[in-house]
Amino acid sequence: MNRFLSQKFRFYSFVCIALLLFVHGYNLNETYLQPFSLVRERITFTTFFEYLFANGLLRFRLPVLFIISGYIFALQDSQPHLSRIKKRVKTLVVPFLIWSAAGLAMTWLWQQHPVTAKAVAEAQLDQLGDNRPYSELSWGDLIYRWLRYPVSFQLWFIRTLFVYNVFYPVFRWAIVKYPVIWFSLMLLFWITMFNGLFFEGQGMLFFSLGIWLCKTNYRIDKKPEWFSHYLSWLFFVGISVIKTFMAFEFELYSTVNIWVLATLHIISVAAGVLAIWFSCDRIVRWCMRRKWFVWATAFAFLIYGLHVPLLPYMNRLAFMYMNHIPNYRLLVYLGVPILVLFFCIGFGAALRAAAPKVYRIATGGRGF
Amino acid sequence: MLDLPVVKFVFLIALLFCQIIGRSQQGFAFTRITTDDGMGLASNVVSSLHQDARGFIWVGTANGLQRFDGSKFIQFGTEKRGSDLLPHSGVSQIIPIGKSHLILSFPSLREFGLFNTSTYSYQKIAFHLDKPLPARAEFWMWNDSHGDVYLNVLRYGMLRFDRVTKAFINSRSFGIPAGWQVSLAGIHEDVKLKQYWFACDSGLVIYDRPSGQTFTRDNNPKQLPVLKHKELRERLTEVYLDKQRRIWVFGWPLAKNGVQDKYCLDPTGSKFLHADTAGINMGPVGYTEYRHFYETKEGDLWIYGNGVLFNFDKLNRRFIYTKNEAESESVGISYGVVHQMIGDRDGNIWLATDQGLYFTVHGDGVFSVVNLRFSNRTETTSITDILELPNGDLWFSSWGSGIKSIDRLMNKKQNYVYEQPPPGSWNEVLRAATRLPWSMTRQTGTGKIWIGCNMGVLMIHDPATKQTQYLHPDELANSTVRFITEDQKGQMWLGTQSGRLLKWTNNEMQVVMDFGTIIYKLFFDRQGWLWIATHEKGLYAINPASGELIQHYTAGTSKSRLFSNTGNDIEQLNDSIIVFGAGALNFINKNNGHVRLLTYEEGLLSNNVSRLRMDKNGFLWIITSNGLCRYNPRNNRITPYGRKDGIVLAEQASESDYVSQDNYLLFAGSNAVIMFNPDVFLNTAPPPDVTITDFKVFNDYLPVDSLLMFPQVSLKPDQNSFSIYFSSLSYMQRDKLTYYYKLEGVDNSWIKADRSFFVNYSLLPPGKYTFSIYCESLEGLRSLNTTRVMIYIKPPFWRTYWFYTSLLFIVALLAYAIHDMRVNKLLAVEQIRNRVARDLHDDMGSTLSTINILSSMAKTKMTTDAVKTAEYLSKISDNSQRMMEAMDDIVWSIKPTNDSMQKIIARMREFATSVLEAKDIELQFTTDEDVYDVKLNMEARRDFFLVFKEAVNNAAKYSHASRVTVKLALKNKKLTMLVEDNGKGFDVPKADGGNGLGNMQKRAEAMNGTIDIESRPGNGTQVKVSIFVD
Repeated sequence: MNRFLSQKFRFYSFVCIALLLFVHGYNLNETYLQPFSLVRERITFTTFFEYLFANGLLRFRLPVLFIISGYIFALQDSQPHLSRIKKRVKTLVVPFLIWSAAGLAMTWLWQQHPVTAKAVAEAQLDQLGDNRPYSELSWGDLIYRWLRYPVSFQLWFIRTLFVYNVFYPVFRWAIVKYPVIWFSLMLLFWITMFNGLFFEGQGMLFFSLGIWLCKTNYRIDKKPEWFSHYLSWLFFVGISVIKTFMAFEFELYSTVNIWVLATLHIISVAAGVLAIWFSCDRIVRWCMRRKWFVWATAFAFLIYGLHVPLLPYMNRLAFMYMNHIPNYRLLVYLGVPILVLFFCIGFGAALRAAAPKVYRIATGGRGF
Repeated sequence: MLDLPVVKFVFLIALLFCQIIGRSQQGFAFTRITTDDGMGLASNVVSSLHQDARGFIWVGTANGLQRFDGSKFIQFGTEKRGSDLLPHSGVSQIIPIGKSHLILSFPSLREFGLFNTSTYSYQKIAFHLDKPLPARAEFWMWNDSHGDVYLNVLRYGMLRFDRVTKAFINSRSFGIPAGWQVSLAGIHEDVKLKQYWFACDSGLVIYDRPSGQTFTRDNNPKQLPVLKHKELRERLTEVYLDKQRRIWVFGWPLAKNGVQDKYCLDPTGSKFLHADTAGINMGPVGYTEYRHFYETKEGDLWIYGNGVLFNFDKLNRRFIYTKNEAESESVGISYGVVHQMIGDRDGNIWLATDQGLYFTVHGDGVFSVVNLRFSNRTETTSITDILELPNGDLWFSSWGSGIKSIDRLMNKKQNYVYEQPPPGSWNEVLRAATRLPWSMTRQTGTGKIWIGCNMGVLMIHDPATKQTQYLHPDELANSTVRFITEDQKGQMWLGTQSGRLLKWTNNEMQVVMDFGTIIYKLFFDRQGWLWIATHEKGLYAINPASGELIQHYTAGTSKSRLFSNTGNDIEQLNDSIIVFGAGALNFINKNNGHVRLLTYEEGLLSNNVSRLRMDKNGFLWIITSNGLCRYNPRNNRITPYGRKDGIVLAEQASESDYVSQDNYLLFAGSNAVIMFNPDVFLNTAPPPDVTITDFKVFNDYLPVDSLLMFPQVSLKPDQNSFSIYFSSLSYMQRDKLTYYYKLEGVDNSWIKADRSFFVNYSLLPPGKYTFSIYCESLEGLRSLNTTRVMIYIKPPFWRTYWFYTSLLFIVALLAYAIHDMRVNKLLAVEQIRNRVARDLHDDMGSTLSTINILSSMAKTKMTTDAVKTAEYLSKISDNSQRMMEAMDDIVWSIKPTNDSMQKIIARMREFATSVLEAKDIELQFTTDEDVYDVKLNMEARRDFFLVFKEAVNNAAKYSHASRVTVKLALKNKKLTMLVEDNGKGFDVPKADGGNGLGNMQKRAEAMNGTIDIESRPGNGTQVKVSIFVD
């Protein structure tokens, strides 16, 4: 891996996580987004803008992160698999447990004050749908939330990544031996959003793609000849816009509509990954020459671990105090994620300076 | 004074105001709904009722099933796809099953069906029986606490509804002895003991569900006393266990010759409670059938049936008969048969009768709304004033009848006002005047009752001593005393018909002022001002101490003018506002003198206000010529109260008013007194959420339950005109609520709904809308939740944004394609130019240079060396020849007319022939037919030809062959050219490429093809070129 590719990986890891805040900051009436989610609200600039970004233009993040993860894991094939998994326990499992517990603790703290408790209740973040104060839940309920359904729901990514890493030999064998069959299967998993126990189908295709790119020495550090900036951006933005309009204008409960939206989602994500990856080299170089940017990228994992549930709670709090301001939803959507981003970076810097060992454990050694 | 609970209960009491005290007769104020009301009731013959979980009343009429939402009936009967036809026939029973289904009984059709209240679909219920039903079968459905529905078929047996097969199947027998027949409706479930009771033709049957045992008179191992009575052994028809667990059994024993027995037994069933059936036979005339029981939540028992409607009066411990008052009484009930009674969620009682649908408000038996009617005299009884004594007795001054009194149980009570006769010196006119009282007041200090009468007669009665003092002061000038009141100092003030304002002080009557017109009311406000309401002279305020006039309001032309100069009543709203009932309501700000009017236009029932009275909650109650209403000063809203609220005589109660010690309000007038606790109209709980009762697109009602199950109502582009019907399904509060709605996307703010309970929207453009509605009670309390319906009018696809953007997307793609084509074209031209330039440079340039050099050399040798010169000229000639050929090839390849394969093959053949003939080599040139269809581009064509040319040239020059074979073939989209000679061959690996083999290789690769050269010394040479073509 050359230096520029390494820089690209770091740049995109940070950018994808930072943009994650604008996905989780989505604040329309129904906040749970699936690729084919429809919007029951009237189309306004705010609703259109939020949906376009959260469920369209920013959907390239997870595929990119999974591709990077697959590629990097495949690079280390010279190491014994068991030792790599042991390392992944430190870098993935332990942070999962820590940040899941931190999410629970943060929620409990917010539940202690009437105003913040109201924000917690309105955020409706509990994955089991039981938004009672934690003081009313049993220890069993809390442990179940800690391990299986964390309030920091974004942690599914590292949990899934750990599972993929454990089964990496299977991935590699299938990709090398039967690439067509394997990728067809993975594509099917992605399209159908297959989910097994801890086995999220959404990432398998891209994790596999990362492995394949690595194993075939595919030059991903420079633009391929077949790549067209125009077409990739046209499909990425154009299809995202069309899909957003459809989400507002399609009728609910139509299987055909769901499939149309899902198909457009696939096209736009594929085009988005290509467009973002191959079009921004100058930006990557510019940013990675800036010390402050490189410094900030060190806190990518902390942003990832901390931003939920903080961001949804902050959103609701902002709603309470800003709902008299025109276009407050859009202002909150744009402002609160940035606020949380800076808070996370600041918190990370402070923690790293004050308690580097704790920071190391909590981030799996990332950011040093 | 009794401490009366705050429960609405209406009594109509016909009070006998004659000398004989009679028993008061109680009754309910029924509101009748008929086919003439315009609400859509399909038939006045109403047989069955049911209120569903949402609050709708389902009504079974002679013309089918209907649903009532408080304002209109919706008829169900249209045929739906996948549904049976719901008959427009008499629905005798409606039995709920599950959350959204009703079982309907159509006895005249012998049909039963399952109706889905969400989808409005109907499905006939089949009978899966071993034997056919008898022709004379009669049917009665009943359900138990387990949710099972049974069908009692007379002369057949008991059936059960099977939810799986959706059919009636044979039920368990419940141990009914063989030969015993259960009467049609004689079934009762004792939920507490889990027993079923059956009234049979041969006695009672009790089925014990837990043990599966059946007890009868012949099988009574537990020695149940109720089964031992001889009276309960023959032709029993009804059985019922009430909330007190008393056992009611009715029957038609043969020995009684057509008289129905009605028994009530104690909970043990051992003894008959004859006292508890008191009055049960009193009232009905003619043939009757006591068929059914109904018990309210509070335990009030009703018995009803054919010609029968009784309720049990807890106060008097007897049954009260509500007679059929066929069309005579506006508040009575007209019925032949009462088919069913139910209680709704608010506690109202609904009655299905053969003469319409009725409902009445109800309570726990202690009244809080009383309507007194004086109806035993031929002439009008005018109640001119009301007074309450400390013991709670109510006194009424009656013009012509004197002073009458009743206790708080509405029983007439003796008073002693006239115990002592008027002075003997008084003439007949003055004596008669004592029976013409107009006003009463109790003097606080002495407890004496001041009674002002006609002709200036004043009676002062002391209830303690039962003494009455008769006065006829000259100051009253023989004028009727219209009003008496007491000031804060205990001084009595009087106003007369002639307009004199008098003050009684120090046992002396003083004339304070003379207004010269009738004084209707004297009122001391909180600051001690005395307000005087007059006839045609407006309203005066004076200082009672000095008699000084402080303020005077009239209906003049000033800004602060009254609605009318004549006013009957005065009240004080707060420290600064005096309300004067003069025509409309006149709100007078005594601080600044401003008058604000509240008239009919602003919601007042009438511009003819008679009486005013504040209640303890700060509401102002108003009697107008159009009934009773209430003014809420907090929201400035008027609310009418009428028959639905139990107020039935308000229009007549216009002469006097009073507020009792326990804050009951009393209004009285011509033949009527109404008395009520205003708290019963006070709702401290928020009103129920508003229900969307119907959704009508153009003229079609859509099944609203089904629609609302989805998060949004989706409409087609042409379904853009619709009506939304709404209501709070509380029939008690419904009309008192104010509804506010808003269609987000159309309405910018909340709109107050009118009384029509629906809103129309027409020709809405496609888009998403949210209809929101909430209601507000009279007290300003808002329903807990705002009811919302999301409506989506789908645009046609060509008017959607996604379609527009898709078009843009396609345009962008086309633009890209066009741009790509243009660029490719430019590139192709550039490529040709480059190629030609390169060819000219490669083929022409070097040759011309050679010629140039050779010609120079020839020129220098021309004079010295003729041989060399000739050699040079020969070379120049060869080069020129080659250059011409090359030029010819270049031109040939560029020329578009040579694009076809025919031209290529012709040139190849021509070339081969000319070259090989010169060497006397035989040429065999064969071409498959398919080859002629191959399209080669300019580059490929040239390369193809030049490879061929090279191969043929090589064969001609070096092979010494006698025969050359050329074959062109097309197979599997692969064009193959084979040039084969039978010459001397050569060793391919050793070939240096100087004979053009390298060029051939390059050209083959340029065509994405392959070249295969096979040759061995002595074995000839084979050149095979393969290229893939489309």
